Amino acid sequence: MILERIIPTVLSVRRILRADPALVKAYGGDPEKHTSLGLVTCDQDDAMYVALDEATKHAQVDVIFARSFYAGAAHASGRLSGEILGVIGATEPEAIENGLDALLRCLEHDACFYDADGKRTVTVFPHVIASLGEYLSKEAGLAPGTPMAYLVAPPIEATIGLDAALKAAEVRAVRVQPPPTETNFACAWLTGDLDACEAAAVAYAAAVVDVAAQPRR
Amino acid sequence: MDALRDELGSSDPLPPVPAMPPIPAPPARVYSPRPERSAFAAQAAHHTTALVGIGHVGTRYATDVVLQFQAELAVAHAAVGAELPEGWAADNGFVGVCSRVTSHREFLLRPDLGRRLSDTSLETVRSRCDKNVDVQIIVADGLSAVACMQTGKALHDAVVRACSARGLKTGTPIAARFARVWLEDEIGQEVNAKVAMILLGERPGLGTGDGLSAYVVYAPKLGNTDGDRNMISNIHLRGIIPDDAAERLAALASAMIEQRSSGVTLDLGRLGEVSGGRGYRAPQVRQRLVAGGEPT
Repeated sequence: MILERIIPTVLSVRRILRADPALVKAYGGDPEKHTSLGLVTCDQDDAMYVALDEATKHAQVDVIFARSFYAGAAHASGRLSGEILGVIGATEPEAIENGLDALLRCLEHDACFYDADGKRTVTVFPHVIASLGEYLSKEAGLAPGTPMAYLVAPPIEATIGLDAALKAAEVRAVRVQPPPTETNFACAWLTGDLDACEAAAVAYAAAVVDVAAQPRR
Repeated sequence: MDALRDELGSSDPLPPVPAMPPIPAPPARVYSPRPERSAFAAQAAHHTTALVGIGHVGTRYATDVVLQFQAELAVAHAAVGAELPEGWAADNGFVGVCSRVTSHREFLLRPDLGRRLSDTSLETVRSRCDKNVDVQIIVADGLSAVACMQTGKALHDAVVRACSARGLKTGTPIAARFARVWLEDEIGQEVNAKVAMILLGERPGLGTGDGLSAYVVYAPKLGNTDGDRNMISNIHLRGIIPDDAAERLAALASAMIEQRSSGVTLDLGRLGEVSGGRGYRAPQVRQRLVAGGEPT
């Protein structure tokens, strides 16, 4: 089925209750503030970015580290590596638990790639965040609570799709990452009001499906 | 995203099923029916309509045998379900009476109620029937109203003729609805008959929904048992034909009056030839109820 959901697989979930300050510092956290850590690996990096942002909306946690791995989950360095390692940090272990709950719920029910050609050889991530959390709002330079379309696809599909999305609705590009990213996809963040973001995401997905079906038109 | 998915065809009807290649027919394995090979069984089958000598196909019955069985069973079911119309007695010159049963279902479930007259019927018997007769004949539906309607009247008339020939006085003809055998005791007692005789449809068997039985009792009174009765069954055209049965019943009644007893104490040895000894019986042919090839 075209545009079937591809649910991300969570590969590992671990906690560190009293992290060594040197570790926290090396991973970009504040050793004073981030004494407890929660670590998750997953096979869909963009779904994880959205889920990490979701965690900041539900608990007093900060995303201290989130990096995609080169070439993606199909070329992972180990059984548990997947495509991304995300780390959230907080003072209270309780906050880490709440944050992980929200993060895993988001991965299970909300953010995911979609199958764009019925064979899972082309996938698309046309996700709309209705209200940005602290993490992605800082990354995007937008105010928390703004709607944002988070659009990811392989290089040619993403390029055609971004053009279609920008023309489909009253949206503005916040950040465009041309290919290649670490995982060799291409990424775009668009903002506007919620309906516009939704329309842009649908247009993006439709364009990706079209390119996947007719690559040489 | 759901709307886009639908637009792209996820909710379209399924494509038509591709045509199947022709399926080769299974290897044919035809069993021909094998008639009974034993000469004794074949001979015996000619003298009964029972299911003997019907052959077999492999380890099973032949199809026409099974169909015949089902058809015969259906005949029996239909006979049990039939009901004697209320006006039948009057239309055929009988005095109509009814047992204490009020519905056909109750008749099947409550044999005790079928053995006693209802209050109005008791009045009818007391007011309209001749008293102090030799033989009181009652025609009744019993378990097969079909048989009663088919041969009840003819058998009754034949019995009356046979009794008159022997100088026995018969009572007012009575037809009873929802009747069991023991109803003759109460009726016979009321009319003070020497002998009571009830002719009623018998429990249907395979293919014979039209058989009548006759139960004869000397000195009918409430409380008689089956040991006090003599009976003849299978009175129908393919069994004991009604004229023969009438002769035997009249002989039975006159013997009872002569010996002043009935049932197990009656000496049948003195009845002679007419009681239907072990005479020759013509070969019988099973009535075919379904179309089908004759077994070869």
